[in-house]
Formats: sequence, structure tokens, C-alpha cells
Amino acid sequence: MEAGKLTLRDIVRTFELPMVPPDATIMDAMKKMIEANCYSILVPRSNKNDAYGILTKRDIISKVIAEGKDPAKVKVKEFMSKPLVLLTNLSLDLRWVANAMANSKVGTIAVFEKGDFYGYVTESCLLDGIYHAMRRTKIDQGIEFATC
Amino acid sequence: MELRDVVNGSRPVRIPPDATAADALVALVENKTDFVMVDRAEAGDAYGIINRRDIVLRPIAEGKPLSTMAALECAHKPVMVMHNLDLDIRWVAKKMANENVSVIMVFEGENFLGSVSDVDILKAIAANDAREGEVGED
Repeated sequence: MEAGKLTLRDIVRTFELPMVPPDATIMDAMKKMIEANCYSILVPRSNKNDAYGILTKRDIISKVIAEGKDPAKVKVKEFMSKPLVLLTNLSLDLRWVANAMANSKVGTIAVFEKGDFYGYVTESCLLDGIYHAMRRTKIDQGIEFATC
Repeated sequence: MELRDVVNGSRPVRIPPDATAADALVALVENKTDFVMVDRAEAGDAYGIINRRDIVLRPIAEGKPLSTMAALECAHKPVMVMHNLDLDIRWVAKKMANENVSVIMVFEGENFLGSVSDVDILKAIAANDAREGEVGED
């Protein structure tokens, strides 16, 4: 099974990302990430005309720690990506989901269907989806699936 | 905080140099790890490293079959290495940002000490802050 045979619908997951307010410190966000074991964190919008933001471990490493800033003193809103990257076509081939991550330099994308929130897709969702498809294919062929 | 404070001494998962991208994906998923090392083919060769994003950005985004693409085609090779254990972790983070990697291997002289990842750095800084908070409350 190759990536081209799977679609966004096959891999999207409906879980909730941890959230921090935009005025929280980066240290607060780091602690929440570690507690949830999830290294993308959602920043809520202030009203319906506002956009959601997202803060990732990569933002913290490259924009805060690497620049010598004190995570306890700087705020999430200074370093988050906003607006959130979205996909709305659940029939999209995985190749284009991966391209959306590459082009927008993010590892988490929110998925909406007909205007309603549907879930998220992450790099791990992509890998897990392909892994399980490979496994199913091998089992269907009667081949024992063993790691390298 | 210095590099020596954040080194993770656990042995990385390794795959052979002739492994495919599919082998790398299986190793990442089954070992629940964020990166795998690609072994050297010979003494004069360099180690490679593949993380989850490398699989997403190369074979998947390019629409190439994982089962025929060599793992080394999506690897960072040679692996990023640091030796100075006294280095402030700001510079470890800066190296990750500059080189666009999330894991660096750490050696002391000829000896492999372990690896440091972006998550290791975040955890060390958060733990240090929690310790300082406890001391402040005493």
C-alpha cells in the first residue's frame, strides 16, 4: 500500500489539542505540551472574527530558546503561527496533505468539513495511516508483517 | 543549562544502510520514536538520521513509493554532531534551528554519549523552572 491510495479521511483524527491563551508565557505552553505529551498547542481566538493560532515545539526552539529569550518572560502570542493552516477536502490524496505541511512549514493541520471542525492531521497521523495500510496489505497477501 | 544536562543516553533505533523508506517508517511507528539512525555501510561512511518529518516531506509529499525508495534518500547525512558538553543549550537550539534538524548526536571524544532532541531541551528547561519555583517557595 502506498501513500497515494489513502486520503485525508483515512488518517484524520478527532482529538483535542491542548490550549493556552495568547497572553500565557512560553514556559506555560511548554509545561502544557509536556503534560499532554503533545508538541503542538492551540491558541484560541478572542471572538468569531478572530483566527485560531498554533504554537509548536519548533517555534519554541528556533524563535525563543535559540534567540536567548527567557521562556518565562515572553508570551505565546509573539511566537505562534496564525491563522491555523486548514484543509477542507477529505478526499485529498495523502501526497497533497504532506505537501500542505511542507509548503506551510507546519506539522499539524486542522480539518474542516462543510464549515464544521472535523479533526486534526499531524505528521504522526500520516505515518501511522500508511503503516496500518501496509500492514493490512501484507496480511491480505498472507505475508507475515515484520519490522526490519 | 549546558549540553551535558540535556543529553539523552538511550540508544537510538538503527536501520541498515540498504533499508527502504518503508522500513524507516515501520521502525519509527513500531518503536514509537521520533527518529531512527541509518547505519554506516563501512568504516569510512557516515551515519544518517531520519525523522518523521523527513518521511512526510520526501517520499509522501513527492508521491514516491516508499517500498522502493532508499531510506538514505530521505536521511540527513552525515548526522549533526556536537562535542562541547559545556555549551549553553541556547546554542544547541540555535544549531537545530540553523540546520533544520530536531536531533543532534553527542560525542565526548570518540565516545558516543547519546542524543539531544528538541523535546529533551523543552523538558529540561521546564524541569529547571519547576525546581527553581520550588526553591523560591521554601
